[in-house]
Amino acid sequence: MGSKFKQGTFWSTVITLIIIYGIVKFAIPFISRKITGMPFPLPVPSTLILFYMVLTIAALFLYTTFSEERLEGFKRPVIDFIKGSYGMLPRNIVLGVLPFVVGWQVYDVTSPKVIPPTSIRIQHPSSNFPKKMEDLKSPIENPSQDAINTFIEQAKANAVEFIPQLKADIERWKKTNPDNHILGFIPTEPIDKFLKEIKAGNVTMEAAKSALHEKNLFEGRALYAMNCRPCHGDSAAGDGPMADGFKLRPINFTDNGTIETIVEGYTFWRVSTGGLGLPPEATPWDSAMPVWNLNLTEEERWKIIMAEYDLAQKTPRIPEKH
Amino acid sequence: MKKFFILFLLFTIHYSLSTAVNAGDIPTKPKPAATPEMLAKGKTIYFKRCSFCHGLIGDGNGPAADFMDPRPRDFTIGTFKFRTTASGELPTDEDLFKTISRGLSGTGMQAFDIDKIKNGLTEEERWQVIYYIKTFAPEFSNKELDPYKSIVKPSSSNIPFSKESVEKGKVIFEKTKCWECHGKGGKGDGVKEERKDDWGFPIRIRNVTQPWKIKAGSESEDIFMRFSTGINGTPMPSFIDSLKEEERWHLANFIKSLQYKPNDQSVLKAKQIKGDIPMDFENPVWAKSEVIDIRLAGQVIAAPRWQNPSIDMVTVRAVYNEKEIGFLLEWDDPFKDVIHNESLEFDPKDISSAGAYNSYVDPNKMAHRKLETFRDSIALQFPIKMPEGTKRPHFFRGDAGNPINIWLWKADMDVSGKTAVEENIGTGFKQPLKVQDAKEQQVVAKSLWNGGRWKVIIKRPILTPDKNDTQFEKGKFIPFSLNAWDGSNGEHNLLMSLSTWNYVILETSTPATVWLWSLFGIIGMAGVEIWIVRRIKKP
Repeated sequence: MGSKFKQGTFWSTVITLIIIYGIVKFAIPFISRKITGMPFPLPVPSTLILFYMVLTIAALFLYTTFSEERLEGFKRPVIDFIKGSYGMLPRNIVLGVLPFVVGWQVYDVTSPKVIPPTSIRIQHPSSNFPKKMEDLKSPIENPSQDAINTFIEQAKANAVEFIPQLKADIERWKKTNPDNHILGFIPTEPIDKFLKEIKAGNVTMEAAKSALHEKNLFEGRALYAMNCRPCHGDSAAGDGPMADGFKLRPINFTDNGTIETIVEGYTFWRVSTGGLGLPPEATPWDSAMPVWNLNLTEEERWKIIMAEYDLAQKTPRIPEKH
Repeated sequence: MKKFFILFLLFTIHYSLSTAVNAGDIPTKPKPAATPEMLAKGKTIYFKRCSFCHGLIGDGNGPAADFMDPRPRDFTIGTFKFRTTASGELPTDEDLFKTISRGLSGTGMQAFDIDKIKNGLTEEERWQVIYYIKTFAPEFSNKELDPYKSIVKPSSSNIPFSKESVEKGKVIFEKTKCWECHGKGGKGDGVKEERKDDWGFPIRIRNVTQPWKIKAGSESEDIFMRFSTGINGTPMPSFIDSLKEEERWHLANFIKSLQYKPNDQSVLKAKQIKGDIPMDFENPVWAKSEVIDIRLAGQVIAAPRWQNPSIDMVTVRAVYNEKEIGFLLEWDDPFKDVIHNESLEFDPKDISSAGAYNSYVDPNKMAHRKLETFRDSIALQFPIKMPEGTKRPHFFRGDAGNPINIWLWKADMDVSGKTAVEENIGTGFKQPLKVQDAKEQQVVAKSLWNGGRWKVIIKRPILTPDKNDTQFEKGKFIPFSLNAWDGSNGEHNLLMSLSTWNYVILETSTPATVWLWSLFGIIGMAGVEIWIVRRIKKP
């Protein structure tokens, strides 16, 4: 039993080292990939690998030097090998090659590498975010009494106003559905309820508000499809037809940690001022995000934001109470 | 506890296996019945996800449609391009399922498979929307037009990709005259005159060498199916009667062999050469230099926005000597456009204000997408001041405080023997580029258009006395980006494609100290070995 153990000390040390290295280098990234479900592994940083290996070596050193017997067991095969007990040829090959391996390692460490500078990018910078926008409330999500009343009047007169971008398509629908109410192309429950109430002549504020929400959502979705879809994709997954052309890819709104971690005032600020409005820590020079306050009205931007959250199935963070 | 662990393990294994399989294009469960409830649900999905492009009445005229090329499909006339049925026939439900599930590459039609996209559509939801889409065209309810009667099914599986098969396919490509439309090299440069498809829109012949833009899939099976069924509404015929099944497989393999695989280099390494920068394209120096493929997107950052770029990839090489640096740029462009008509240029004023109808350009109404209208052009852009840390000018022409140096090459100037390339200064996309003074112009270019591909070499001294020039210091990471214009696609000024920043580095030889350190390493180790061996030998 004892002699068997002695024989094995050297090899068990080597095998332990290999196994630990294998776990740190390959098994952890592999398992992390399975856990996160992401298409790429989370690699262990090289400094951390070094740290783990130094710890392992220290532990193994303590273990082998703990008793005279084990140290002997470790040293014996090494000494025998150098003496040539396992044959002179393997000994000479190892002794001959080893200096060059070291030389190669030194070369590898000291030779200049082509590693482009990487920048750490803060995705949600707040250094130049105007504080007053923190509590900004969407006028589309929270319509005024006047807005709701106007909408009810328009609906009663069967003359609901839509944004000009949609008029032509709705006209064409109206032509094929002449007897239908102008809101009839929206096949959702709140609109059905609202139209029924109009017919019966007892319109409730609640139903009108929900119907107005549906109408605004429809406009927002259309504006999203026209303006944002080329980059952010029609599923809001950051995979639009233009996405591959940008190194800093368009944001995937369906990811956790994007639009649900920010208040809607912040989203409005980002949409309005675009990439150029970012502070340096968010690398504005790499961002293709347009400055939308140049081309979209405030109302259009709010409608888009409403549709964007709806499409990604997320809700904005609620502003903290002061 | 142990049981729970095993269960967890099994679940993990099951989950990892099920995500590994690329399901989705083909339904996994039997097709459900088209009940009124299914149709009603389909209508809601169509309204929420499809109507903005395909229109509320399915006529392909939704509010976003005008800015896309190819336009969204008009469902009302029952003509569908991608099918597994004979030429001219309707598609099967499974064909529509495939298109909705995986989308059409290179178009606005994206994948809707929930396995690929978090908020995509489930299998059942896809069936619901398919049943609804079919209500738009009366053809689908006509029993005589049943597509299932004319399914094209290969009698054998594909012929594996091999050199012999590709050779045979090449002969068939010649014999069947595929090149008449698609060009000798398959770059879509065969037919010059404008033709229109059944919907009345200009036909753009497919460049088969770019697999990322082949709409209904770039695998041999997909290509085989296009030969066998044709593409309805376009001049692409079915070869089911003129070519044997075996011949269609060989042809598919040949087309597959033409597909270009872009590399994923992140840095352009310019090698130092002895002698002059080669200004001829056949020079082996270029073949030996390193390659980087740069992706470009349409200019959608500022009005006028352009989401129909023709050039989405440029291949770049660079070499330098003690005096100069040269870049070789190559990109696919089916037509050589060497005329520029300034009077036809787009006036961006109409669509640049807030509340304007839309800030995107309608490719079929606003832009002149015709031959002999606008020039082909390309530009290389660098920051003038080398960035501190990672700070850079904005990739879209820089800004007032961070100007860029842009070398703009114009095809029309080149063929007329004038100065083809000019050094400009850019201070943001709102300002027009400023041409540098004649005495500060040091760039020289040479160009060649052949078989649907441009090649342009641009060179400049690595260092200049001009303070408005980028200086190419050895060993530094120098950001560069591209702007590109395809004239016959209506592109000029800000209607263009552009890339974000990439890096070029002038590679230096390994410093002597590295060799010295390595030598020390070798000697040191040898010394240690000698010492150990001697110690062991001593009794």
